[in-house]
Amino acid sequence: MIAYAANLATIVAIFGILAATLNFVVGFAGIFSVAHAVFFGLGAYAGAQVALHIVPDALLACVVAAVVAGGLSLCLALPALRVRGEYFVAASLGLQMMATTLFSEAKAFTGGIGGLVAIPRPTLFGMEVSVLPLALVALALILFATALLQRGAFGRTLQALRDAESAAEALGKNVAAAKTLAMLFACAGAGIAGALFALHLSFVNVESFTMDQSVLVMAMVIIGGTGTLWGPVIGAIILLSLPAGLAFVPFIPATEVGAVQQIIYGLAMTLLMIFRPAGLVGDLSKGRATA
Amino acid sequence: MLFLQLLLQGIQTGALYALTAAGFALIFGATRIFHFAHGTSFTLAGYAFLFCWNGGLPGWIGTLAGIAVAMLFGLAMERLVYRPIQRHEGSFFTVFVAAFGVAVVVQNLVGMVAGRGFASVDTRLSLATEVLPDVFLAPIFWIAIAVAVVLFAALSAFLTRTHAGVALRALAQNPDLLRAYGLSSNRLSMLAFAVGSAMAAPAAILTAMTTGLNEAIGHHVMLISMAATIVGGVGSLRGAALAGLMLGVAESVALQFVDTQWAEAVSFLVLFAFIIFRPSGFFGVAQTR
Repeated sequence: MIAYAANLATIVAIFGILAATLNFVVGFAGIFSVAHAVFFGLGAYAGAQVALHIVPDALLACVVAAVVAGGLSLCLALPALRVRGEYFVAASLGLQMMATTLFSEAKAFTGGIGGLVAIPRPTLFGMEVSVLPLALVALALILFATALLQRGAFGRTLQALRDAESAAEALGKNVAAAKTLAMLFACAGAGIAGALFALHLSFVNVESFTMDQSVLVMAMVIIGGTGTLWGPVIGAIILLSLPAGLAFVPFIPATEVGAVQQIIYGLAMTLLMIFRPAGLVGDLSKGRATA
Repeated sequence: MLFLQLLLQGIQTGALYALTAAGFALIFGATRIFHFAHGTSFTLAGYAFLFCWNGGLPGWIGTLAGIAVAMLFGLAMERLVYRPIQRHEGSFFTVFVAAFGVAVVVQNLVGMVAGRGFASVDTRLSLATEVLPDVFLAPIFWIAIAVAVVLFAALSAFLTRTHAGVALRALAQNPDLLRAYGLSSNRLSMLAFAVGSAMAAPAAILTAMTTGLNEAIGHHVMLISMAATIVGGVGSLRGAALAGLMLGVAESVALQFVDTQWAEAVSFLVLFAFIIFRPSGFFGVAQTR
């Protein structure tokens, strides 16, 4: 039971990181990316390769993952600079679909559909550690960084260009640089989450990095509340405890649990958008002004 | 000869993509609603036809049922989801997420009710015969093309010759002026949803007869429609249809050079390239929003 709870807590922390970083681009910069799982996947594969072929050092894996995912964030920053709104969503969907194919075909790097197996247990300074404390520390750091950025000049710039891009530009803000940096930060964070995910499961394959996963993370952010500090984390907790909770409901056949879970979160997304577009947390802290 | 076979196959797929994409483009152009659940209309129409067919009903009843289901779904989305959202705020992302949620719900419901995995309709129309050495065509190829051509002719006649059609185009260009002339933009946007969603039904039925349906097909169809609308240029039905045809052909012809797994990636590569280099598409006008 303790092992079960620890496992759930680790997964929640990892998805908390994902949701918090996605919230950073969606909630603050107003860039609606539906390709977050791509960078999660890049980080996971990079971290797994480091652990498999160099040393299973958690810190090194995270750094490499952050560099790879952050570097490739340019793929998404490029369309973000060119287009907005529906067009960007379309571009990120396109990237997600291409990446899914690439992940299942680039067998040398990703192991194809079979994935990468037998990733060694992570170590830190030569000692074997479990992923839970690492994930919690990373989550805390990312939330801290988000809170700092939110108050600082950079966060204000992002919010300004989210609300009125032309006005922000007219006031001398460098829109291109701000957007690129925001993407870089968010994707590097997703990469770290990926590396931790790979080390925790000691197995990764393309199934975890598909569009469904991107949508799940997006749902976490939205259900929790975009643009809030704690919203995404709360969204991650709610959506991840859902399957655990449904497993105890007697009248749902085991084969349908997955479908019922998806129906619940789909319904939650739609109803929230109709009745409470600011999300669960958004309403508490800021009232209807943000809607 | 393989190339010719792939090209013809691509034209057949492309004709169906073009129909669905034109429906999406009509809705998006007229109402500015990013109807992400358009693929769901497609799924529902396909399964409605499948149920009628398996129930032993004649094909035309199934076709009517498919069209009716698609239209009802489109109208229900407009009334129950999009309109309430637009009443308090119009942010496109809110609309997108709400539609996405509905698509997820319906996909899983269909999976639970109709079973997961591919289901198709057996007809003699999809039996291929050799028309040229090594080139096989089924009667359904001609049907798909004829349906696409007839429906486009009908749609353009509707948009240019009838009052309602002209009003729809006016709605796309200037909703405020339209209201000033005393027309109801609410009624027109319902019309756009009804006509646009109905366009998905024939494509869904023909797909059920050829490659078959699964509960997640709406997703794929939606992504293709969206890609075609953007590649063709938002606001241009002709562009969307042409781009849909092109994407179908590209997807199919690409098989000559790469493995099947890459077919979908090819479409999105085209989309991605368009967004970066020519966001306004073939026939679109560059616009800032």
